[in-house]
Amino acid sequence: MHTEASSDSLPAQFSIIHSKGTLDWAYATFILASSAAVMDKRVELFFSFYGLQCLLKDTRGLKVSPLGRPDMIIRSPHGPDWFKRIDWNRALPGMMWTLPGMATLVTHGFKKQMARQGQLPIAELRALCLELGVKMTACQMTVDLFGFETDDFIDGIEFAGAPTYFVHTPESQSLFI
Amino acid sequence: MERLDLTGLACPMPLIKLKKYLAETAGQNRPFLVSVSDRGALKDIPAFCFQKGLACQLVSDNQIIEFQIRG
Repeated sequence: MHTEASSDSLPAQFSIIHSKGTLDWAYATFILASSAAVMDKRVELFFSFYGLQCLLKDTRGLKVSPLGRPDMIIRSPHGPDWFKRIDWNRALPGMMWTLPGMATLVTHGFKKQMARQGQLPIAELRALCLELGVKMTACQMTVDLFGFETDDFIDGIEFAGAPTYFVHTPESQSLFI
Repeated sequence: MERLDLTGLACPMPLIKLKKYLAETAGQNRPFLVSVSDRGALKDIPAFCFQKGLACQLVSDNQIIEFQIRG
């Protein structure tokens, strides 16, 4: 595991500051990162606050829940076509999502839908990003804030603060997710 | 002609597999066919080929999209 910023590396051309710890946004970031890498961009990802969930060895904490998410589109991966076209976040009252087990159910459906779409499971997509040369940094301040150990995280990432991120990405196209 | 089957894969997996294939067959310069089902690949594969300096021709655009690619 790298604990120091490598000084010989060229600055990134595309970077994302990822702050969200849900499965849907993890896909958004890793899909964008792998797309940029395959188009020969040097990519830097900086994970801070709840975004640290995306770098944990154990990805079971990455879930989706429609609770407080009126933007989410929820389709069933099972059933006849007319059934699969229903957006359950519109069809059902919001309080339905407060029931026990709903986050697990919706997460299961989301994973099925992503698999059917031809997407890899999130841990495999993340590993592929590393293989493509995407650099990932966990924000040391928030690692300490939430009491994580470096051993909780996957290999192949760096630990540093936001200043290091800014050094690595002086003129890159940057997104905040 | 050799065919690279990338059907059933979603963005950006077709490009990642295509890039790996190009790395594996580097220097062969043989034209080959690529089949995809991802609609986005209709634009993405020519864009990728343009960047790589590869000739890319759309052969068929149905349920399955097919390109012929040459170095």
